[in-house]
Amino acid sequence: MGYEINRFQGEVDEELICPICSAVLEDPLQAPECEHVFCKACISQWVARQPTCPVDRQTLTSAQLTQVPRILRNLLARLMINCDNAQYGCTRVLNLDSLSIHLEECEHNPKRPVLCEQGCALVIPQDELKDHNCIKELRTLITKQQQKMNEYQLEFHELRYFILEQRREMQLLKDFMRALKTSNPSMRAIADAMDRDAQDREVVRWSGSLQRARVTRWGGMISTPDDALQRMIKRTLTEMGCPIHILDDLMENCHECRWPPGLCSLETRQNNRRQYENYVCKRVPGKQAVLVLHCDNQHMGEDMMIEPGLVMIFAHGVE
Amino acid sequence: MANIAAQRIKREFKEVIRSEEVAKCAIKVELVDNNYTELKGEIAGPPDTPYEGGNFVLEIKVPETYPFNPPKVRFITKIWHPNISSVTGAICLDILKDQWAAAMTLRTVLLSLQALLAAAEPDDPQDAVVARQYKENLEMFKLTARHWTNAYAGGPSVNPECDDKIKRLVDMGIEEHQARVALSSYNWDLERATEQLFS
Repeated sequence: MGYEINRFQGEVDEELICPICSAVLEDPLQAPECEHVFCKACISQWVARQPTCPVDRQTLTSAQLTQVPRILRNLLARLMINCDNAQYGCTRVLNLDSLSIHLEECEHNPKRPVLCEQGCALVIPQDELKDHNCIKELRTLITKQQQKMNEYQLEFHELRYFILEQRREMQLLKDFMRALKTSNPSMRAIADAMDRDAQDREVVRWSGSLQRARVTRWGGMISTPDDALQRMIKRTLTEMGCPIHILDDLMENCHECRWPPGLCSLETRQNNRRQYENYVCKRVPGKQAVLVLHCDNQHMGEDMMIEPGLVMIFAHGVE
Repeated sequence: MANIAAQRIKREFKEVIRSEEVAKCAIKVELVDNNYTELKGEIAGPPDTPYEGGNFVLEIKVPETYPFNPPKVRFITKIWHPNISSVTGAICLDILKDQWAAAMTLRTVLLSLQALLAAAEPDDPQDAVVARQYKENLEMFKLTARHWTNAYAGGPSVNPECDDKIKRLVDMGIEEHQARVALSSYNWDLERATEQLFS
């Protein structure tokens, strides 16, 4: 839908009129062959109904519509038009291409958002300011919020009731399981296996949340870290969310006395040096140390890996 | 009414008023209501046709979706033409249906209707009785069309014989238009028309 002709100063050439809405072209587009020009909105609406040019009925789809020549755009841009808010007192007459910028800041726009300065500090359309009553507006606001709060309260009560129910059911299930476990040895085995599975899954999940580390200098490995160093690393692992059931085991595996055969002495370490690059290492933030978890390193040989994993502390060379 | 439709019609209304054809009294358009949803059109019968000398009034209804859909046009003035219903005035013309294009205007529609009066399409009829007569007996068709132009559109009187036959039926208590339709449909054969009317 184009701009009404009577908003323009002086004569508007017929060539600048959209044949569909008979107003001055807005966002014009043209047909490829016949070069007939229409407002974008008008021609889109037409081809959606019938894929032809509205003037000469040549086949025309919306994909074929193209930008109009620069000269036409310039002629349109140069037309002098009055502001949309002329009826509200704006006397500006400006180039068509600067209309949109002006409209954004036109102070005669009745819908321009303004801040109420009488105390309520609500933002309201300018034309509503005259009849605006802070107390009334605020009261509506309070009522609305009260309503919302009541709704939330209700929902909260429902949810709490739901949780209690669930908790009761869970307790029942737990009691039931316990009874089963004590009365039936094979159930006990199943329950233990389930516990172990759950723990394994927890380790895998934790490992997935850690960042990969790269060791640039394997020679910097400390095979006999002292107690202070070990305590520091242990604290960091706790902060990283290390599952409790592997924390102690992992920390014990930071010393060569607990390392697998392929790592436990200087000599075997020398022999297996080439395999180091195959380890999948996880970062220990802020520390020159890496985690080599069993679940990440099942590709390594038996003599290079132990459960639940290794902690390797370095003097330097970890990225 | 959608803004775009009203704006278009206002502009087209002025276009018709300013056009050459109005100057020559060939077409005319008037407002029926103030919101431009209904208009009254008028076209002059084209020269060298049975409609010459007559003025034909049209009802033009502008839909909300104009100009994306065509205006709804029908003849108010009764007319004998293969593509116009002699009963309802409904028009069979492609541009008022699937061949409508959004750039067409009241002026082009009125001129197209005038052209339709000059060039009937009996193979795509709106009124089968008229179309059959047009194809089987062109002279009879012209006579009838001219008679209707005289009776309803203010055209010149041409054949007193027809008027006589109608009068005889009217004297028998038949309504005049009904008598004219019967006679027109039976090629002005008074006996057959009477038979049909009283059967």
